Amino acid sequence: MKLTGWRWRGVVGLWWGLLVAASAVAGVQHHPHIAVELVPEAVAVAPGESLTVALRLLPESGWHTYWRNPGDSGLETRIAWQLPEGVTVGPVVWPTPQRHPFGPLVNYGFEGETWLLSELQLPTTLKVGESLELAARAEWLVCEVECIPGEADFSLHLPIVAKTQWDTARREAWRAARAALPEAVAWPAQFAIEGRELVVQWQAEEVVAEHPEEAYFFPDADDLIDHAAPPQVVHRAGEWQLRYPLSSLFQRPPEAVTGVAVIAGRGYQLTALAGGEWQAAPPSDPPKQVLALWWILLLALAGGVLLNLMPCVFPVLSLKALSLAQGTAKARRERALHGLTYTLGVVASFALVAALLLALRAGGAAIGWGFQLQSPLFVGLLAMLLFALALSLSGVVAFGTQLMGLGDRLTSSGGYRGSFFTGVLATVVASPCTAPFMGTALGAAVLLPPGVAMLIFITLGLGMALPFLLLGLSPALARRLPRPGPWMETFKQAMAFPLYLTVVWLLWVLGRQSGVDALALVAVGLVLLALALWLWGRPPGRHPHWRNGSALLLLLLALATLYLPATLPPSGVSATGEKPHSSGYRPYRAETLAELRAAGETVLVNMTADWCITCLANERVALESEAVRSALAAQGVVYLKGDWTRRDAAITDYLASYGRNGVPLYVVYHPGQEGQMLPQILTPALVLSALQPTFSQPDL
Amino acid sequence: MMKNTLLAFALLLPALAVAAPQIGQPAPDFAVVDSHGAVRTLEEFAGQPLVLEWSNHDCPFVIKHYSSDNMQSLQRRYTEAEVAWLTVISSSPGTQGHVSAAEANQLTTTRSAAPTAVLLDEEGTMGRAYDAKVTPHMYLIDSNGTLVYMGGIDSIRSANAADIPKATPYLADAVDALLAGEPIPNSVTRPYGCSVKY
Repeated sequence: MKLTGWRWRGVVGLWWGLLVAASAVAGVQHHPHIAVELVPEAVAVAPGESLTVALRLLPESGWHTYWRNPGDSGLETRIAWQLPEGVTVGPVVWPTPQRHPFGPLVNYGFEGETWLLSELQLPTTLKVGESLELAARAEWLVCEVECIPGEADFSLHLPIVAKTQWDTARREAWRAARAALPEAVAWPAQFAIEGRELVVQWQAEEVVAEHPEEAYFFPDADDLIDHAAPPQVVHRAGEWQLRYPLSSLFQRPPEAVTGVAVIAGRGYQLTALAGGEWQAAPPSDPPKQVLALWWILLLALAGGVLLNLMPCVFPVLSLKALSLAQGTAKARRERALHGLTYTLGVVASFALVAALLLALRAGGAAIGWGFQLQSPLFVGLLAMLLFALALSLSGVVAFGTQLMGLGDRLTSSGGYRGSFFTGVLATVVASPCTAPFMGTALGAAVLLPPGVAMLIFITLGLGMALPFLLLGLSPALARRLPRPGPWMETFKQAMAFPLYLTVVWLLWVLGRQSGVDALALVAVGLVLLALALWLWGRPPGRHPHWRNGSALLLLLLALATLYLPATLPPSGVSATGEKPHSSGYRPYRAETLAELRAAGETVLVNMTADWCITCLANERVALESEAVRSALAAQGVVYLKGDWTRRDAAITDYLASYGRNGVPLYVVYHPGQEGQMLPQILTPALVLSALQPTFSQPDL
Repeated sequence: MMKNTLLAFALLLPALAVAAPQIGQPAPDFAVVDSHGAVRTLEEFAGQPLVLEWSNHDCPFVIKHYSSDNMQSLQRRYTEAEVAWLTVISSSPGTQGHVSAAEANQLTTTRSAAPTAVLLDEEGTMGRAYDAKVTPHMYLIDSNGTLVYMGGIDSIRSANAADIPKATPYLADAVDALLAGEPIPNSVTRPYGCSVKY
């Protein structure tokens, strides 16, 4: 049978009419993938009172509705009221929202039962004995991956009585609905637009959070931040600072930024005002502020001291230290001066690198500590420099002794210059060795105001120079060093070997970055360099110019071999590109991570780089140990590995989201929970325990 | 020399940084196969204005603008005015809105749509380059290849076709202003719709 147009419409109309009539009476209405209900807090109301009415949303499991700022897509739930004269209604009061990542997008909304509250004010003119007629139309968008818009009409008939009668049957439900609302707080809060970033900062000393770095801020405005980018969070002494990239829709700074801050699963309604010189320590809380900074500085100092033990630095410095010890008591003053000039050299170099890093970050470049080693050219130059130093230690040539301050030129002015450049050199060769402490200190540093950041870098340099400075300043300490003697020559030559190993390692990094051809070419360059130095070290003979000229030519040829790695495109062979299946990991992509998390998988993220020794050690010892591998397989954990050997903006962003700007970084995601950061030094036991499901952290 | 190298390297970095599309800047390049198997690039549209429309035929917000003939009439109006119009589908295989070339052509026929071409961006490369977030998400590129508009098709964020006549037609206003040689009133607006199914 075929229905004609008007008949068809008539049937639909009748059906629709029945539905509306039914809904006006019945409580819960069922719509595709969601049930909705309008719930008044009272069963009978009194004139002049206020009445809260909730729109109760019950999406199916896995489906969600949207907050007032829905994020990258979606649509907020809306309620339109039809009210009798004199009755007024306030804006919707929303519970604390959640983040819903989907691919490269993030939405703000609610899964599960959600109560949206509306506050109605009743006039005193209502007549007892009559009935209050309220009507509302709700519109929503309910989404899982796909979205279905829906709408429903409601009407409520409430008797008007002398004293409001509360709906006691739903008292608990109302309590839960109010508990889900963000708490209104009067915390001092400020915001600033810095370049292409929004920085929001608030003080909440009374709030204790086990994981303060997991704080989040949901802005009410939808054109303010890039919702998909996790914020960089800095927390110190009751103060939170969150930094978000600006939205592509951002046009001009608002007068105030309002929104919901979420700390440890609790929401707080904030208003942040435009801040001027807002990095200054707030007057109410100076001691804590200083303490926090001191803690960072202390870490920086300790990290600097640790750098001295790195295989690339130790040989150079141990020799320098011994040469200091050669001085007599008479030379005490000179010794102190050497210590000081060396310190100056280190600190100046650190300050230079810090200035570059900060200038680049201000320019918006996505870089982090260790960025120098992402350039094959820099790695090649470093290999050549260390090779030349090693050859000089082996006695091929006396070149470099000036730099290292060896020999008897200690008292001459050239010696002081030597000390200064030993400091510079030590900083350069230390750059591959990111000590565990430095990750935290430097991660914090780039997020801080430039002045403070610079202070941290300088402290790091000071830490590195500290052992040497103490030797120079304290004769007692210097006396405890072994007596100089013929054994020093043997020691010097032995110290060449750690340097040779460092060269091999750098060549390996270069090979991974630019391929085996470039590696072979740079190896030839090293041979040319050796030849040049050997010629240089020969007695001048009758034609010193001939000798020097050839040596110089060979040196230039050696440097020319760096041309290929510097210009070659990335080879595609990388820490993650190789054998993806046999090793059981997948390359990191932000989308992959979001999808896996959305799908409820447990995910282990490993951010690594070939030039990061700590990373490689952790992989060998823990991540690729039999115990961890079998646990990953048994628990079905997805292992994502990000390779930062070359620059990668996505990984830099990810690191920044955890307050880091260097590798390694390890994060475990349990289903429905925020990521849990692991320490920078891993053991199999530690990884295994982190993989155990925990139930401690609520979902944001 | 070491320091100079570091400096030189450092100065190169900002140029390499990846940037989101920006108004007044060259629009991101693309090379995507269309529903007839031809590879379409930004370059081929040099010299004429170009509208990009991100679409997913099953998304209620897209349905809003197709069921009302709003999208098709915009396509007809502007392609007749020598404006190129590309409908881009970035849904990955197996997700809502993903179509084969034949299905895409059938949709064009059944909906009486009139785009210059329908691009099948299965990998989402073009979508990500443009930072397309929703369907429909609209972009306008001038004849010099400069991005001049990005955002919503109109001002009322809803899935209800009855709202279309009441809304400010942001995209149409932008194209009309561009064709008239006038400044574009709102060059960035809030897009609304379903998330792009990357």
